[in-house]
Amino acid sequence: MKFAIALFSAAHAPSSRRALLFAQAALAGGHEIVRLFFYQDGVHNASGSVVTPQDELDLPRQWRTFVTEHQLDGVVCIAAALRRGVLNEEEAGRYQREAVAVAAPWELSGLGQLHDAVQDADRLICFGGA
Amino acid sequence: MSTLHVLSHSPFGDDRLTSCLRVIGAEDALLLSGDAAYALQPGTAPFNTLGTRGLKLFVLAEDAQARDLQTPDWAKAIDYPAFVELSIRYDKVNSWL
Amino acid sequence: MPRSLLIISRQSPWSGPGAREALDIVLAGGAFDLPIGLLFLDDGVFQLAANQDARALQQKDLSANLQALPMFGVEDLFVCGDSAAERGLDPKALSLEEAQVLTVGEITALIDRYHQVITL
Repeated sequence: MKFAIALFSAAHAPSSRRALLFAQAALAGGHEIVRLFFYQDGVHNASGSVVTPQDELDLPRQWRTFVTEHQLDGVVCIAAALRRGVLNEEEAGRYQREAVAVAAPWELSGLGQLHDAVQDADRLICFGGA
Repeated sequence: MSTLHVLSHSPFGDDRLTSCLRVIGAEDALLLSGDAAYALQPGTAPFNTLGTRGLKLFVLAEDAQARDLQTPDWAKAIDYPAFVELSIRYDKVNSWL
Repeated sequence: MPRSLLIISRQSPWSGPGAREALDIVLAGGAFDLPIGLLFLDDGVFQLAANQDARALQQKDLSANLQALPMFGVEDLFVCGDSAAERGLDPKALSLEEAQVLTVGEITALIDRYHQVITL
């Protein structure tokens, strides 16, 4: 089964952890994840600027490890990311901002990537809100 | 076609559960996750509504456990591998974000 | 055949970027000529209230973008009549004339017709 997983909530929201555990369970069950797409506040999950207290779950780091280990396609919506100050080097340069928060394995791209994933996958699963 | 509806907001002070129950179809199921699991708090309006509604109802086991909620016999507690399987058994997943 | 996607927009136009970001998904789908539907449900129906004044809140006007939906190839527009009526809006006097007013039962059937759904 091919899954597209879209995440709409920030890293500190419980739904972001659920998205990661769902994604891990999907791969463990022998399924494929065609793309992870981070939209709205979900873009914060790709931020390398989040500092989590040592005794708490570091979700942005866990996502990074997960995506890197499984060589997944991790796309962050560029418009949502710009609005929330989650920029990669290219966008920081383009808009003359100092803070660079996103790097590989994440890629900033447009909403077309969400639609593309919906076309490619058997199921779209969205996580967000509370 | 069937839909797995997923809620994650508390039913107290939020209208997602009410709204979902209006549009949920006969072939559909509902999964309570996060604070939506509080709908299983006994003696409350959401609990009584769900108990008499007779729909296919699931709750994410970790969310019930964390909140000390017992799963009534008209609901089923599931883990993440079962969540994945449910999302396949139903034709689509509608998460009420 | 391309897979169809239904966006259910439940947020008022003034509650943050949520309504606009839901609309952006729809517009992007229209731009790619994909079969995409948009349903206004719950507070989402407030996006269709007439005579709103975005300038009062220093916002951009969402209704102009909504009017442009048919031009962007998005013609499957729906509004929940019950949500509108509960909120004191006349379902027949909404700003998006193209939107079909549906009953709750018809919404169940609508969700059923689409391959995938995103509720925001």
